[in-house]
Amino acid sequence: MSDFITSVKENNSIVIIETNGYLNNVGGEAVSAIVYEKMAQGQMKFLINMAGTKIVNSIGVSILIEIIEKLQEVNGKIGYYNLAPIVAKTFNIMGLTKYSSVFETEEVAVNEL
Amino acid sequence: MTSDFNINDLQLKYLELETLLDITNELNSFDQIPELLQEILVKSCAVLNASSGLILIEDDNSDVLHIGADFNLDISILKGLIFNKRKGIINELNETRKAFNFKIEQDSFLSKTLCKYGLMAPLLEKKNLVGVIILFDKESRKGISPFHDADANMLSAIATQASVAYNNIKLLESIKEAKTFNDNVMQSIVTGVFTTNLMGEINHINRAATNIINLEKEHVLGNHYEYIFESSQSITQLIAKCENESIVLSESQVKLEMNGKSTTVNISVSPLLNDLLEPIGSVVAMEDLSNIDKLKSTFKKYVSKQIVDQLLENEEMQNLGGQEQEATILFSDIRGFTSMSEGMAPNEVVETLNDYFNLMIEIIFKYNGTLDKIIGDALMVIYGAPNSTEKDTENAVLTAIEMQEKLIEFNQRRVINSQLPITIGIGINRGRVISGNIGSRQQMNFTVIGDSVNLASRLCSAAKADEIIVSETVWEYIQNNKSLKSRKLNPIKVKGKEKPIKIREIQYKRSSFNYEVAYNIIEEFLLHHLPKEYTYHTIDHIRDVVLQTERIAKKEKIGKEDIADLKLAAWLHDIGYIWEPNRHEARGAEYAYSILNSLRFPVQKINKICGMILATKIPQKPKNILEQIICDADLDYLGREDYSVNSLLLLKELRLKKQISEIEWLDIQYSFLSKHTYHTNTSITTRNKLKTKVLLSIKEKLKK
Repeated sequence: MSDFITSVKENNSIVIIETNGYLNNVGGEAVSAIVYEKMAQGQMKFLINMAGTKIVNSIGVSILIEIIEKLQEVNGKIGYYNLAPIVAKTFNIMGLTKYSSVFETEEVAVNEL
Repeated sequence: MTSDFNINDLQLKYLELETLLDITNELNSFDQIPELLQEILVKSCAVLNASSGLILIEDDNSDVLHIGADFNLDISILKGLIFNKRKGIINELNETRKAFNFKIEQDSFLSKTLCKYGLMAPLLEKKNLVGVIILFDKESRKGISPFHDADANMLSAIATQASVAYNNIKLLESIKEAKTFNDNVMQSIVTGVFTTNLMGEINHINRAATNIINLEKEHVLGNHYEYIFESSQSITQLIAKCENESIVLSESQVKLEMNGKSTTVNISVSPLLNDLLEPIGSVVAMEDLSNIDKLKSTFKKYVSKQIVDQLLENEEMQNLGGQEQEATILFSDIRGFTSMSEGMAPNEVVETLNDYFNLMIEIIFKYNGTLDKIIGDALMVIYGAPNSTEKDTENAVLTAIEMQEKLIEFNQRRVINSQLPITIGIGINRGRVISGNIGSRQQMNFTVIGDSVNLASRLCSAAKADEIIVSETVWEYIQNNKSLKSRKLNPIKVKGKEKPIKIREIQYKRSSFNYEVAYNIIEEFLLHHLPKEYTYHTIDHIRDVVLQTERIAKKEKIGKEDIADLKLAAWLHDIGYIWEPNRHEARGAEYAYSILNSLRFPVQKINKICGMILATKIPQKPKNILEQIICDADLDYLGREDYSVNSLLLLKELRLKKQISEIEWLDIQYSFLSKHTYHTNTSITTRNKLKTKVLLSIKEKLKK
């Protein structure tokens, strides 16, 4: 597990990935590696706790889009919670929120995903 | 991949614009440089897809830059590098002051970052390079790539905004620093300073000023000076005049009555001007004189007032370096104080010494002596150093005489208060001494040293109780003053001198018992010690007896000396009531004998005083005219208009011991008055008539 991923856990058949740091090329690759590994094990739903990620670039966003594409192929879903305002704004501008969901808390995310 | 999911250029431009807008909006909200730089860097990296970044920022007053912010970079690899804005790639930026992208060469200092590509933009203050934003390795899904020209334009735009924000914070910091500096200067100066604006409102005040005016800063700021200094018109008038005439004004020794505190200040008011030399208020400086007063007061414990004032006025005199000069030195010492103090409680010893020193030092300062030392019960006093006058030696001798004379009064008080008297010997010498501040850096005292000082000390040792011994040198200096008398003594041999030293004893009127002082002290003693429950034998009765004694004595043509003795006996005749009311005459006589003996009052006169006190015992049996006078004075009221008042006071006092009915009291009075006879012609002629009338009146009452 890279430094960017600080924990991976499951809650109600949802894989919850906690990140910390810059969601760029390196950070995005670390997330996609975990997601693809879990998909291979049959997991379909993913949540990313982004409390520790205060900054993101477009490469990191484009990797998230690639993950969304892969999940759509198998009717899987991905969502995010604990987003910093600047991260939420970037996700919005880059169109990410059209294809994946942003939640306030883990509890809401687990219930609604 | 569907087209919906492609991040197109439009979205990226939108993100860039939003980021730039955010930076514009947010950067001015920062007030700390480190936070500002971090925000600039992080947003720059994010919007331009840089994998990491650095901001280098100027060191004050040098061409070297230091790392002000870093992002996603292990900066320990850059440790030890010097970022000089006059060298290499940073110098290029310094010269062009335009953003550019570049490939990191192997020999570049940035190669340590292990990054391949860079983008650099300047932070400028006016046209000077104050910092550099460096972004490393543009990210793409295919890996890292060089930055584009468009990225340089974007970073340049961010850097421009960042420069404005950075310079604003720097400006704010320098203003704060200047304000703090000014505040610190204002707060640390001991002069009280406050300023007023054009409206007359106080807008700045330092700590010293709030202390002087005894008001909290919060109560002063924003208020008009006329309101704050309502009770100190001289200050308000001074400020008003300064406002009207735009001139500097000052006034000395201004009394300030502020909030229950009285202070004396020197005050100066100056117009406060702006850059165009237009008045914008006033600045008021107040110098608190209380500390100078305190200094004077402390100093005056050691030096006479005149010397303190001279030293404070003449700064050159304060440089008391060692110098040889003529001076007169006086030593005094209490005789037998060590053995005397053995029988005293420690606090009594301290109290005695303090009373004694207070009295003596007052005399020393009266004659401009400088108290050099108090050594146990001894005093060392200098005359003529640091500053000398023609009168120094004479002043020393006059000090010694007055010390001995004042000690007589001092001892009268002690003896009357049942304390042992004090006697002193004094030695005075004049000669060359070394004077100056002598001691360590921590404690330095002005003193004089030398053979002449030692001789003065030896003369003091040679002086017996009540004696003033001076060297022949001293006598030579003062013999022109015909009011001073001396007698030659046998020369004395002193340690360290081969030849015997010629000495003289200064003669003064010794031990003439001061009656007036004695009367006052006895009256004070009676006031404090007579039993408070007594209504007849009070200080009023004693004062009356003293008065009547003198009146009768004068009528009887008694001589002055006898009248003085009579009055002394009158003051003492009821003093025995303090200790033994039942035998107060005998107790009073014992006390009188004891104190008069201690005061070296002539023995025959002591017996005379005691006889007069004893003669007042009822039934009175006076043996001579003086005893007759005091007896008549003691019962003078029997033939006076105020008989009834005194009789009631006596009844009240007698009833403290036993019940006495009205009838019994009439019987007692009748019996006493019938047996009583006045002894002196004066009382017989002036009091008998009224006494007989009183007697008849009592007789009438008894018949009823």
